[in-house]
Amino acid sequence: MTLNEALAIINSRQGGRKGGTYFLVCGFEPLHLASFFQARLLERLPADPGVEVQRGTYGDLQGNLEAARLSSAVAAAAVVEWSDVDPRLGLRSSGGWSNHAKADLASSCSASFGRLETAIVALAGRMPVAVAPPSLPLPPIGHTIRAQSSEFELELRRQLADFLRRISRASGVRVLERSVVQTTAPCLDARMELLAGFPYSIPFASALAGALVNVLCQPVPKKGLITDLDGTLWSGIAGECGPDGVAWSLEGHAQAHGLYQQMLGHLAGCGVLLGVCSKNEEATAEAVLARKDLFLDPESFFPICANWGPKSASVTRVLKAWNVAADSVVFVDDNPMELDEVGRIHQGLTCLRFPAKDPAAVWRLLGDLRDLFGKPSLSVEDDLRTASIRAAMPIQQTAAPAGSPDHLTTLQGAVTLAWCAEPADLRPLELINKTNQFNLNGARITEGEWRRLLERRDTLLGVVSYEDKFGPLGKIAVVIGRRDGASVRVSHWVMSCRAFSRRIEHHTIDGLLRHTGAAEVELAFAATGRNQPLLEFLRAVGAGPGPDGSCRISRAGFESSCGALPHQIKTQSGRDAKGK
Amino acid sequence: MNDIQQKVARCFRNVFPDLRAEDVPRASTASIAAWDSVAQVTLLSAISEECGMEFELDDFEQLVSYALIVDYLESRSTNG
Repeated sequence: MTLNEALAIINSRQGGRKGGTYFLVCGFEPLHLASFFQARLLERLPADPGVEVQRGTYGDLQGNLEAARLSSAVAAAAVVEWSDVDPRLGLRSSGGWSNHAKADLASSCSASFGRLETAIVALAGRMPVAVAPPSLPLPPIGHTIRAQSSEFELELRRQLADFLRRISRASGVRVLERSVVQTTAPCLDARMELLAGFPYSIPFASALAGALVNVLCQPVPKKGLITDLDGTLWSGIAGECGPDGVAWSLEGHAQAHGLYQQMLGHLAGCGVLLGVCSKNEEATAEAVLARKDLFLDPESFFPICANWGPKSASVTRVLKAWNVAADSVVFVDDNPMELDEVGRIHQGLTCLRFPAKDPAAVWRLLGDLRDLFGKPSLSVEDDLRTASIRAAMPIQQTAAPAGSPDHLTTLQGAVTLAWCAEPADLRPLELINKTNQFNLNGARITEGEWRRLLERRDTLLGVVSYEDKFGPLGKIAVVIGRRDGASVRVSHWVMSCRAFSRRIEHHTIDGLLRHTGAAEVELAFAATGRNQPLLEFLRAVGAGPGPDGSCRISRAGFESSCGALPHQIKTQSGRDAKGK
Repeated sequence: MNDIQQKVARCFRNVFPDLRAEDVPRASTASIAAWDSVAQVTLLSAISEECGMEFELDDFEQLVSYALIVDYLESRSTNG
């Protein structure tokens, strides 16, 4: 994006309604970086026409971090340069580079990083913060030639790395990976720095702004990956050369498949669902997956569909077992024809070819998979996901129909309703932003808006967890509302598809009525085209949308339609709920 | 309008979106209240990018109107 393109984008969206405010925090004059940042945000957030960028004052990164914390911004980008850590490390200072000054620099930088850490973590307590580490070169004050690092430079970089590692642990802090900001132009524009206090070349400012927006406005991560086997998870056709004839090792000239296996193992560890769709005999596929030298735990795959039918039909089975929509899933196969057949049937599915003969392309594929599934932080639920879906299969196979009272009472289920939130726990926000089927109205919330919501005294937040004899599901539902006289007005209500058919939604409304003592729950329902399960629940309890579109559940009506609830209830409120 | 005039005018409209097209040829720091030091840097950076020419540090103080900027760029273009 050129500067003129950025300005044109900003001008084209001026005059619209006011939208979200983002704070660009830096110690230098933000100048073109602010323009690019605003233009990239406008590009990324087309539904938010009035994105505004707030800036601080020149030369005061620390003060600007505090100003951002006190602002009403929904997110911030903090750009740190060496001159913010100590002005003597910038072009506009004349503090001297003597040996004495260098010794002082090392200790002053350490203290400065400590102050920045405190300010950034405090800011992240109110809004998500993308932190860009220094991009500009250090002054040429090493006693070595440029090609050789001096101990002084290595010490400063060690302090920087330690600082970034520390802040990255804080909820809400997202440290920018500097290597993704790539331009052919040099980063530093010394002329502009001396003239206007803006240190970056225009191409670099454009790339940096794009990277900051990518970190702040991340797409909803995919939930599952369905992989082919022959030619994809391994090299060779197992049905022809036998389970021991296929390969995925360097020695077998099939390391590209080995890398892919390791990537899938890594994704499984991050809570990504893995399934298999292969044209194979089931016994053959299972025999290869049972090999001890596989680079991932075969238990990570569920379900495994190996048959000779169309792969689109196998994909349907996997999606049904996971209870997720096609647009939340990635399908990887080496055969373009199979990708085409599956893609035609499953609109929205991300179909990627495994380029077995091109190691560079395989490496790029692994990077693409990281971007498709990456998320700012992992939760306990990421560990539970595959196990809970696998555990749900015996539930479905019991004699009593799933969801029937007889069946549910055998589960020994326990529903925990926590009427309080821990701001650092982003699991409830994740549920709100990725749940489609049991979702009151499809409304999404940014991390900044979420933190504002938690600050409001009248916000009523319920986080629902569940476990039964098959294991814990973790936090699987969230309800947000506020008291309004004898009513509770619910603005958001979502429940993970893993928790369907257990009447947890009934427990949630029951708990909401009990906790608030309200006579009625008013729900801001809106049809999204995908939230049929929630609409069916509302109709079942006699609360389907009325002529005016409103949905109301009265205490008396709910008690008469609900019947006995099957699970044990645990309630947490106030401080008890924190961190649970 | 020649090519340079068109490019400079486009940059003026990008940096000063409230400026009417017919007022661009008469635009100067005296006629546009929003033309402060930050706008000057933005304007010359945008023109530099659009025309593929770099400005010297002194130019930022001297090029204070549309006419001066166009004259400067045309003379540099003519003199190679």
